[in-house]
Amino acid sequence: MAHDDPHHFEDIHQALHRHLPSEPALRVKALESLLIEKGMLDPKAVDAWISVYTEEIGPKRGATMVAKAWLDPDFRARLLADGTAAISELGFEGWAGAHFKVVENTPAIHNMVVCTLCSCYPHAVLGIPPNWYKTAAYRARAVRDPRGVLAEFGEIIPDNVAIRVWDSTSELRYMVLPERPPGTEGWSEDDLASLVTRNAMIGTERTLRPAGQGRR
Amino acid sequence: MDSVHDLGGRQGFGPIDTGESDEPFHAPWEARLLGIVRAMSRPAGWTIDRFRFVRESIDPADYLTRRYYDQWLQTYAALMIDSGIATVAELASGKAAGKPEGLAPPMSADAVTKAKRAMIRFDRPSDATARFAVGDAVVTLRNGAPGHTRLPQYARGRTGRVEHDHGAHVLPDRNVDGEGYAEPLYTVSFAATELWPDAKGRDDRVYLDLWESYLAPA
Repeated sequence: MAHDDPHHFEDIHQALHRHLPSEPALRVKALESLLIEKGMLDPKAVDAWISVYTEEIGPKRGATMVAKAWLDPDFRARLLADGTAAISELGFEGWAGAHFKVVENTPAIHNMVVCTLCSCYPHAVLGIPPNWYKTAAYRARAVRDPRGVLAEFGEIIPDNVAIRVWDSTSELRYMVLPERPPGTEGWSEDDLASLVTRNAMIGTERTLRPAGQGRR
Repeated sequence: MDSVHDLGGRQGFGPIDTGESDEPFHAPWEARLLGIVRAMSRPAGWTIDRFRFVRESIDPADYLTRRYYDQWLQTYAALMIDSGIATVAELASGKAAGKPEGLAPPMSADAVTKAKRAMIRFDRPSDATARFAVGDAVVTLRNGAPGHTRLPQYARGRTGRVEHDHGAHVLPDRNVDGEGYAEPLYTVSFAATELWPDAKGRDDRVYLDLWESYLAPA
């Protein structure tokens, strides 16, 4: 560590806890004002980033990758062999996309992604993670009780299906390639992509259904 | 560091809130904070691992009760104080008593068009020979490093199997101070029953990415 005092950062955090405004919204407002006054922030760039992650970069990118993989065996092979190259192939470059690995569900295997130590997530292809992904409950339980977590999402995983939980402890980022639902033969890429939910690509949903045949 | 952030396998947490809306942000301040941290000027030494280490140092009660982006806010505030960029009083009031020197000017809105496509790599060229091969049985360290580390408590002192060799990646334990030292990184899988004897799925496995210095031959 850069500091001899082992409690250096704990002391800073406690001082911040005592002195910063009591409401998160007020804390953020004070931080933004301060950064602007210090010449460290252009608020128009903040607006631009919010627009990027609310309108442009989100799970539609991942869903496009999944639909392409369902339709094109060559793309599927490339996606599974080198996810980062597949990101570049589709022009989906972005935050936390440099070491991207896609893991494939099969009739015998179900994959599920977590980050127990913080909340690592493949932002370039899935955007902003859902709040539950960042909660202590999901981070604590996903590795130890994946079947219980999946049941809360409405998925009962049979005993003959093995679960693989991927704990994102390095800069590798994981996404699940779900199985293509039956009854979608002949569907277009766009129609297939519309079936692919964010949760299916995190692995908290397994069974995708054509519209009108069950929950979203 | 063995703080409360290391949550994997801890019990006592209730059900997951599976019914939340699909909106990326659940309050305007959350979106604002995300935008601020993507756009703000920052010293070179603020590596991802330094950020994580400082977040791990948040008081355990705050860590477990404050929302995610609120923790980010406090982490960046602490980094600013540590780097001499701001004081607690400035962060509390939002009023600057002085300006930092030596920082790049802030990102403009136009620059976001390029920055949103940026991808930071963490692999490094290395002449090191990988100590382990795919299929090898390995055992993890029994104890974690005193500072920042990415070997969770639930996977310590356990035997697993090497699944992938990713080449050399920057070692988080030493990247807190921006050292950039790299060593071989592997994906190692563990039987759920090796981690927790009462695991329900007898064939379930947990996969972690672990650096070579976290491992020994089994």
